[in-house]
Amino acid sequence: MNIAILGCGTMGMAYAHNLAKMPGVTVTGVVDLNAERAEQAAALTGAKAYTDVDSLLEQKDLETVAVCLPTYLHKPFVLKLAEKGLHVICEKPAALTLEDAQEMKAACEKHGVRLFIGHVVRFFPNYQDAYRKAHSGHIGTPKMAHFKRYGSYPQGMDLWYNDPGKSGGVIMDLMIHDIDFACWLFGEVESVYASIVKRAEPEMEYAQLTLHFKNSSIASLTGYWGYPGPFTTQFEISGDQGIIRFDSNQVQSLDIKRVSAEAGDGAAVQVPASPSLHDPYYKEVLHFIECIRDGSEPLVSIKDACYAVQIAQAAEQSAQTGQPVTIGGTVL
Amino acid sequence: MKKVKVGFISFAHMHAASYLLGMLKRDDVEVVGIADEDAERVRPYSVDRGIRYYADYNELLAEELDAVVICSENSRHAEITKHAAAAGKHVLCEKPLGLSESEMLEMIQVCKDNGVQLMTAFPCRYITSVRQAKEAIDAGQIGDILAMKGTNRGSMPGGWFIEREKSGGGAVLDHTVHVMDLMHWFTGSKAEEVYAHAETLFNDTEIDDAGMVHVKFANGVVAVLDPSWSRNRTFPTWGDVTLEIIGTKGVLNIDSFAQKNDVYSDVTGKAAWSFWGDDMDEGLVNSFVESIRDGKPVEITGEDGYYSARVAIAAYESASTKRTVQLKAQG
Repeated sequence: MNIAILGCGTMGMAYAHNLAKMPGVTVTGVVDLNAERAEQAAALTGAKAYTDVDSLLEQKDLETVAVCLPTYLHKPFVLKLAEKGLHVICEKPAALTLEDAQEMKAACEKHGVRLFIGHVVRFFPNYQDAYRKAHSGHIGTPKMAHFKRYGSYPQGMDLWYNDPGKSGGVIMDLMIHDIDFACWLFGEVESVYASIVKRAEPEMEYAQLTLHFKNSSIASLTGYWGYPGPFTTQFEISGDQGIIRFDSNQVQSLDIKRVSAEAGDGAAVQVPASPSLHDPYYKEVLHFIECIRDGSEPLVSIKDACYAVQIAQAAEQSAQTGQPVTIGGTVL
Repeated sequence: MKKVKVGFISFAHMHAASYLLGMLKRDDVEVVGIADEDAERVRPYSVDRGIRYYADYNELLAEELDAVVICSENSRHAEITKHAAAAGKHVLCEKPLGLSESEMLEMIQVCKDNGVQLMTAFPCRYITSVRQAKEAIDAGQIGDILAMKGTNRGSMPGGWFIEREKSGGGAVLDHTVHVMDLMHWFTGSKAEEVYAHAETLFNDTEIDDAGMVHVKFANGVVAVLDPSWSRNRTFPTWGDVTLEIIGTKGVLNIDSFAQKNDVYSDVTGKAAWSFWGDDMDEGLVNSFVESIRDGKPVEITGEDGYYSARVAIAAYESASTKRTVQLKAQG
């Protein structure tokens, strides 16, 4: 499988790390407007570095492209790639609006290429375990859930996260992970209610939202950009015969404390010491590549990804109007 | 030393037992009697302890008493409180204060007219971590409050709690009021808009056992609260009281029952959390007794009880209309 990476920021580099060691996969090109970043990704993968996508598209044997661009650029580039007959693995969220996401879906169908959206939470072993347990009767029928996802304010190129017109904000960019998982768990949403708190100094965006599902289940989600603590995820799923809980701050299977750590050593990054052989992004991309190879359906479909965007948009609308938003009709 | 003379009216809500034990620890309290229509229910607390039993609470109210503790079914709080006030007794009333805005306002007015104090029993105010959180917030440690998320989850209590005519509501009424009171206390503001869900999800009951309550406060703070009876049989404890407060300068988390040992018992057949933190009920009782003894205003008023309970009442309205419900600025 010949694959290229479009965008060499945080996510692009994560793909580069994983694809470089994936058997049967060759990274043939990496693209970034910033030549230095493209070179870094090239050094990691052995691929050719580009600073524009058109040069990459001259590659004859290219089969698949991983789109790791800021959200607002997903649609134009995915449409372009589809037209060229290339399969696409695109970072989440699919797009900033349901209409854009559906246009991407339609374009890929039209040109006969596969489109996958990287809702990586479905590939996290802790979330997978919870999903399997919840769906195999261990807690009876799942009825309620809480999800929490807190981290520092994301630092993107040209501060694109700070612009709601480019990232969609904390609900669309961060909480969409838990929105997708909650919909996977409980099915279709009846209504959404949300509140958002945003401040410029220090930069923060926090939201709390409630999803009421058609089967009467209730999920409460909180998301936070600018959290002063370590990156934290938590969930609780309660059924009529049991409860499943997870707290990322309580699963440290490795903890090293040194007598005299050098100043600044490792201070810049938050690395939870909960090591696994492969990170969830590896499993996710491997799964998508297998789906391309054998034509099988992915764990998370483009339909699921569109639905998550729809719910996130409804939540944003609820926060703006102060009223609950009913989700109309059925899933397209 | 002049003792504060206290009577207990009804042990329908078993908080009465721990309030009684708190009272009995004090040298400056004399528990005069316990009234309850069910003699057997209160025997271990009354006759067995040498405390006089009254089948009719009006007879207890006729005694020389300073104050009464009312732990009846919710539906009787108003009637008993008004009788106690008319008899000139100060009142410590179990939460929720009442079942409608009008009956709570009447309780408050009747107590005022009779010159007695009305305290709402919100023991969560006396959780040590909650008190220190209040101090930290007042000292500006997390700046101004922006948002809050709370949980007061529990187990389905059964009995009269799930009989609507006696309880007035299920989990949403039972468990919204505690943390809502803390939210009012911490923000110094009042809830003015409510959006909520109320469902029966976990138990085979008529009454709601699950919900989610969103609140907007007059000062712009937003909050959400889970009051569900969602703790199952094998969960290691009965429930929780948690509150996360997002401020302009930091985040504060209260997990009231985190002070526990983990117990793995083949005898009970389950894992359990054994709580070893301070006793909040004792803190509540001490505060009430000291206010009455010293003639000071009670720390948690009838108005406080009203402002919290009306959020729960509005939550049911919102759940049925599927719309936000506005609360009047003044009662």
